[in-house]
Amino acid sequence: MAPPRDSLWYKDAVIYQLHVRTFCDSNGDGIGDFAGLTQRLDYLQELGVTAIWLLPFYPSPLRDDGYDIADYTSVHPNYGTLEDFKTFLTAAHGRGIRVIIEMVVNHTSDQHPWFKEARSSRDNPKRDWYVWSETDTRYQGVPIVFVDTETSNWAWDPISKSYYWHRFFSHQPDLNFDNPEVFETVWEVMKFWLNLGVDGFRLDAVAFLVEREGTLCENLPETHAIIRNIRKRLDAAYPGTMLLAEANQWPADVRAYFGDGDEFHAAFHFPLMPRMFMAVKLEDRKPIVEILEQTPEIPEICQWFIFLRNHDELTLEMVTEVERDYMYDEYAMDKTMRINRGIRRRLAPLMNNDRRQVELLNGLLMSMPGTPIIYYGDEIGMGDNIYLGDRNGVRTPMQWNSALNAGFSVADPERLYAPVISNAVYGYQAVNVDAQERSEHSLLRWMKSLIAVRNAFRAFSRGTMQFLHPSNHRVLAYVRQFGEELVLVVNNLANSAQAVELDVQRYKGYVPIEMFGRNLFPRFGNVPYILTLGPYQFYWFQLRRI
Amino acid sequence: MAEETFLSDDLLRQLVSVGEVDLLVGISSHDAVKTVGQVLRAIEQSFQQHFVRQRVVIVLLDGGEEREDTVIETIPETSEEKKVRVPGITSLRTIHRVTANFSTPPTAGIALRTILAVADLLRARACAVVSSSSSNLTADAIGNLLRPVYQEKFDFVAPLYTRHKYQGLLMRNLLYPVSRAVFGCGIREVFPAEWGFSGRLATYCLNTNVWHEEAIRAQPEAWMAITANCTDYRCCQVFLGEKSPPRKGSPGTDIVEVLRQTVGTLFWCIETQQQLWMDRDKLQPVPTFGPAYQLTSEPTDMDRHRIFEMFRSGVTDLEPILSSILDPETHAEIKRMVSLEEGKFRFKSDLWVRTLYDFAASYHHAVLNRDHIVQALAPLYRGMTHSFLVEHADSSPAEIEAANEMLCSEFEIQKPYLREKWKAKVEVKS
Repeated sequence: MAPPRDSLWYKDAVIYQLHVRTFCDSNGDGIGDFAGLTQRLDYLQELGVTAIWLLPFYPSPLRDDGYDIADYTSVHPNYGTLEDFKTFLTAAHGRGIRVIIEMVVNHTSDQHPWFKEARSSRDNPKRDWYVWSETDTRYQGVPIVFVDTETSNWAWDPISKSYYWHRFFSHQPDLNFDNPEVFETVWEVMKFWLNLGVDGFRLDAVAFLVEREGTLCENLPETHAIIRNIRKRLDAAYPGTMLLAEANQWPADVRAYFGDGDEFHAAFHFPLMPRMFMAVKLEDRKPIVEILEQTPEIPEICQWFIFLRNHDELTLEMVTEVERDYMYDEYAMDKTMRINRGIRRRLAPLMNNDRRQVELLNGLLMSMPGTPIIYYGDEIGMGDNIYLGDRNGVRTPMQWNSALNAGFSVADPERLYAPVISNAVYGYQAVNVDAQERSEHSLLRWMKSLIAVRNAFRAFSRGTMQFLHPSNHRVLAYVRQFGEELVLVVNNLANSAQAVELDVQRYKGYVPIEMFGRNLFPRFGNVPYILTLGPYQFYWFQLRRI
Repeated sequence: MAEETFLSDDLLRQLVSVGEVDLLVGISSHDAVKTVGQVLRAIEQSFQQHFVRQRVVIVLLDGGEEREDTVIETIPETSEEKKVRVPGITSLRTIHRVTANFSTPPTAGIALRTILAVADLLRARACAVVSSSSSNLTADAIGNLLRPVYQEKFDFVAPLYTRHKYQGLLMRNLLYPVSRAVFGCGIREVFPAEWGFSGRLATYCLNTNVWHEEAIRAQPEAWMAITANCTDYRCCQVFLGEKSPPRKGSPGTDIVEVLRQTVGTLFWCIETQQQLWMDRDKLQPVPTFGPAYQLTSEPTDMDRHRIFEMFRSGVTDLEPILSSILDPETHAEIKRMVSLEEGKFRFKSDLWVRTLYDFAASYHHAVLNRDHIVQALAPLYRGMTHSFLVEHADSSPAEIEAANEMLCSEFEIQKPYLREKWKAKVEVKS
């Protein structure tokens, strides 16, 4: 049974991002699967998340963690069968949890039958499904995404003896959306999954769908036309389902992907993420305030999706050179931690396992405008393994208990798709779900209460945001408001106690109620409201007229 | 109690919001409301370009009728200032600005004491004080003042400037040679308009009981420079470029007032810091970043004859006072010079040295009101200036620098004369 169809469900959601491979192995082959994930749905329900975002689970040569798809309408045998997926979907819906899946349509794997056909002959009917060229000089000046591994956006195909276009790895040829057949085929793929009951798609790399000479081949009007067409069909045939844009761009550029509310429902706010980390390290609210003040208004039905960490590197694309250098120096002194233009580390290690900082960042994530996404394992403070290569260090098995393989799998440890984290600080013996379930003050228990409070107030998910500007720049304070519901959030970004005077004149007469303990604080009056906060402490106050 | 609460509650409340800082720049706006906006922008540009990661604060001391906010807002950014901006580079942190308001313009001493107190409370690592009248101060110059402290662990950073060869004569012919010979202080600009210092030195100076002294109220910077140079603090000099000319109507254009403020303070330092110089003969070397001096020599219009006449009439008018101050032999020699024709007049360096040492010793013995002693130096300084203008009318910058070095040596050679005069028993005339 699908959850009730509130068409704006994505605004109120708390999303949990995971890869099936990483979560739970039900058949002892060392690789997580849908059956295992289904077994763990109770955990996610208790955590309080309302949606799961699944990373690619399609058949794939897995040269880019599944973002190189070889079959769009099936499940990779490592993760089970289509039936297993359907079972999982039904079970998730039964718990009120929606499911968002990946739709990687900018490119396919070079192992996809479409590409195999396309390269087989210049006369093949599928030839024009990809972007070909006799030379590698077209679209000069278009940036290369994976600068660590690629030197050009063109790759030579020795079979058809011509170049094909790829914005990502050379084994991921871009589809040609100028060909109407490609679009119709993609829509058929989406319908396949929608008919099974999925609640939304994350469209990967949407900015790059179309290529035009003399441009950066990003954010082109033709790309927006494609999105509008998909959205129109989606609204007509599958109301209540959602499109999420993955566009690692500045908010002003991403804004276009919301259109007039007729393109994407949601998009990631990429620049906010590094600035949350930066603000805490700088002990200064400036980066956060600046980026949010630069963030344009979006249509009423649309939403930003925000996150702290995900399956990729902590991307530093959307920062200046100076900011990037600062982030590297502060969060990735060891160059092994760096990859592409980012940092391949998890939340807890980034915060030096400082529980107060981890809580503060999660508090920011849950209280700022947008739908929060929790990356699997971060709710228990999992560590990473920067020596695994690429971004695999943040994709290690979920740590369920202190038993063999962290309770993830009964396979021999050597057979696991990746070794479990086993060091003294973040190892599964110390950091695991079971242990934290049993400890009243664990991070996991704390996260549950945080999410519960977030879920209880729509001011967080749908409310406006108004910054207060106390003279103490180490304190970030804002009011979220949805109708009569008012929430005041006060964050101390510093590693030292801070006093702050808040100008709450416009809320005179309101009584602040601390939202975790439900304790009353003195009523707001005519004078600045003085608060003291411990290191990295934050308050959430419900403001009530009593 | 008043001693402990000289910072206003309003300022303290602002400091609570700032917290610990790495860099602090203090600026007093009361004497130059028209240029303070430009100076503030230069400071902010310096933070934006050179210290993007550091925790920074600007401390503005405002005692004029016109509020600094008004001043700053009304001055548009010049095209030159816009050029200085580096696209994409901006401070990562908030640039804090706190304002200490005074009902009347604060003296230089009160202003510096306030800045030192703020530096101490905010635990600033590197600080600078800049003059609000330094209209041509650049972001780079401010960076040059802060960097040696912040990065090289110096405690005091004195400026060096490009000057016209006739500019800064008081510094070149009197203040520098005397402070160098007496204290062994290698800092050329002992009365800097802008300088840098460490939080360590700020705390030391703040806790030194000098702030009610008249000399400190007027010109505290020389005391700070000499204190730093003659104790365990590391000093250096940095080249800042062209020095802003003094504004018309400022104390800088009235030589008697300038002498009261500078020479008066220097003599006060000599008087109160005996332990630092009496047994000291070694020059404390001061590392220099950039050229040690840079002189220009474009033609200027100076009325040498008028200067000479003022020297002659001053010496004649002040004869009774000078006779109390100067050694009889020195006085006689000066009187002999007065009778010379202008063309034959030269104020020789050995006589100038003895004159200065006589004045310093008389200040020590307080043979007269000390303020009067300092003021009586004015005609003699004019005589020295006249000689300098004549002798160096055609000198190159190198020749002027060599002459200056010789003058400094003369002061050093004759330091025993100062000691002798200092220790002599003197009958004070009532």
